[in-house]
Amino acid sequence: MTFAIVHVLPELLGTYGDRGNVEILSWRLKERSIAHEVLTVGVGDAIPTSADLYLLGGGEDDAQIAAMEILAKNDSLKKALENGAHIFAVCAGFQILGTQFPASGDRVISGLGLVAVETVSARHRSVGEILSRPTVPIEMLTGFENHGGQTRFLDDLQPLGHVVAGIGNGQGSNVDGLITSQIVATYMHGPAFSRNPELADWILSRKIGPLATLTAPIFNQLHDERVSKTS
Amino acid sequence: MKLRIVIGVANFFGAMSRIAKRGSGVMVTGRIILKLQPDAVRILSRKRKVILISGTNGKTTTTSLIYTALLEKNEVVSNYTGANLFAGLAAALSKNLSAPLAALEVDEMVMPWAIKQTEPEMVVLLNLGRDQLDRLSEVRLVAQKWKDALATLPKRCLILADADDPFVVWAALDWSNILWFSAGGHGHIDASTCPACGAVLRWSQDGANYSCECGFARPDAQWVLTGDELQGPEHQSVKVVSGIPGRAALSNAARAIVAASFFGVALYDSAMSISRVTSVDGRFAKLRIGNTDFRLLLSKNPASWRETLSTSESGPERVLLVVNANTQDGKDTSWLWDVDFTALKKRYVVVTGERRLDVSARLTVNEIPHHLVPDENAAATLLGEVEADLIASYTAFHRLAKSVTR
Repeated sequence: MTFAIVHVLPELLGTYGDRGNVEILSWRLKERSIAHEVLTVGVGDAIPTSADLYLLGGGEDDAQIAAMEILAKNDSLKKALENGAHIFAVCAGFQILGTQFPASGDRVISGLGLVAVETVSARHRSVGEILSRPTVPIEMLTGFENHGGQTRFLDDLQPLGHVVAGIGNGQGSNVDGLITSQIVATYMHGPAFSRNPELADWILSRKIGPLATLTAPIFNQLHDERVSKTS
Repeated sequence: MKLRIVIGVANFFGAMSRIAKRGSGVMVTGRIILKLQPDAVRILSRKRKVILISGTNGKTTTTSLIYTALLEKNEVVSNYTGANLFAGLAAALSKNLSAPLAALEVDEMVMPWAIKQTEPEMVVLLNLGRDQLDRLSEVRLVAQKWKDALATLPKRCLILADADDPFVVWAALDWSNILWFSAGGHGHIDASTCPACGAVLRWSQDGANYSCECGFARPDAQWVLTGDELQGPEHQSVKVVSGIPGRAALSNAARAIVAASFFGVALYDSAMSISRVTSVDGRFAKLRIGNTDFRLLLSKNPASWRETLSTSESGPERVLLVVNANTQDGKDTSWLWDVDFTALKKRYVVVTGERRLDVSARLTVNEIPHHLVPDENAAATLLGEVEADLIASYTAFHRLAKSVTR
């Protein structure tokens, strides 16, 4: 079985190096000799609905709206979830999965509604290092956030982490991102899997099952450095 | 207080700061001038023809080359060492009060203020791309700031703008007195959507052309650089020779030749004087650390890393990367993952800097073998008695460039 990763619209959702998450997952699978493929879906390409893991990154307002329009057209992500796929979404990608997100000129854009969250415009942009204590058994999470929206849960949802430093979802919630049975979302750029190797493996193992130990100390060193500098 | 006295006082404190080895004294001079005379930039621009140069990449080099070309015919003041914020502009304009021309590099975000204060004769717009996203915000927003500011230019002002950059074009296209320049486009990492309407921008396969369903499209350029030949709208032609390596430097040299031609300097004369410039503010300067002879290269963001890696490819086999993430570098290092470092695969790579672990993680996934060391001295020890390229982010570069004997 080849594990299929879909990199969703990187030219639109790829402003903050989040494409690195795709490269890192691919590298971690390759190092473990797990057969996999990365399908990069560009503007105008059909989005497959039978892959294993879909990655969405951050993007600017117009690009986020353009991505939203493309994704809404044929319900591809919804169909993929129905087929058992998992999604990892960062920042603008996270916001797209919710019911609505803001755009310049006081516009409110309807989201895909795949998770019960909505994003509203914040008075101040959230920019800087973010540290959160994860709600799943992995090490402290570290990233760099840069977003003008704040996201609130419309239902009783599990966050990805409880914020120790930084803003995260905002709205006084002190949490970052969310976890459902098939979706993990966050405001952490960095990219997230570069600084949080345990998060990368935890997401992979939810779909693949237990993974062999991978010795790649540089990612752990980077994680520890960022955590200690932000604490 | 009379402005001349203000400048005298400011120069005195600037000199003291220089003597105390706290820097070049430029910022101190500029800050004191603006403190004592907030209108100084406006007053000092009044009797001069001012050229403003801005963009994400290449503004220090282009400003320095324009300054060099203009010197052929005129006295000129300039902040060609890159002090491109408010104080840097004030300090540059306070020099040589009889100089009729000023060539000023301006930070992208300071452009609205600089335009208002100097009422320029010419504005040179290079490019806009992602850079220090934590400070400068998203590219589209910077372009909007430019668009609003350019609308307030005095009617006589000529804009020389890059036709290959959709953000620059969108910011400038409403202006009637405009000349488009092209050195050949090759796509734009941030321009996947139309700056005018937000729809997906259509790019040609080779990245040289773009258009949108709303009518926004790449304008035809009047000045075109093909290979090393610069051609103008009236069949003017000149061979461009850059003493500074790389394709970006060549196109900046061409822009400088065009800009200077509007101030009475013949194309050939500009080309000759520009060809003799081999280093600008430490860029491509030589620096010996231990027994290693480094060539200094500045790299700040994905676009400039791509350019620098391509320029460095024909350089020495050994290369040292130094990456920091201070305010002037941008505090977010995520952009490292927007750079493809594959070109380093066949080279001997050493990595240092405050964010060397981020770089190392990136290179690991890019499958580039490399050595991690704590600082440049350790790198030199490892490299030994060889020539090597040293590619550094902003703060590391400027710290090292200071040690270069000018």
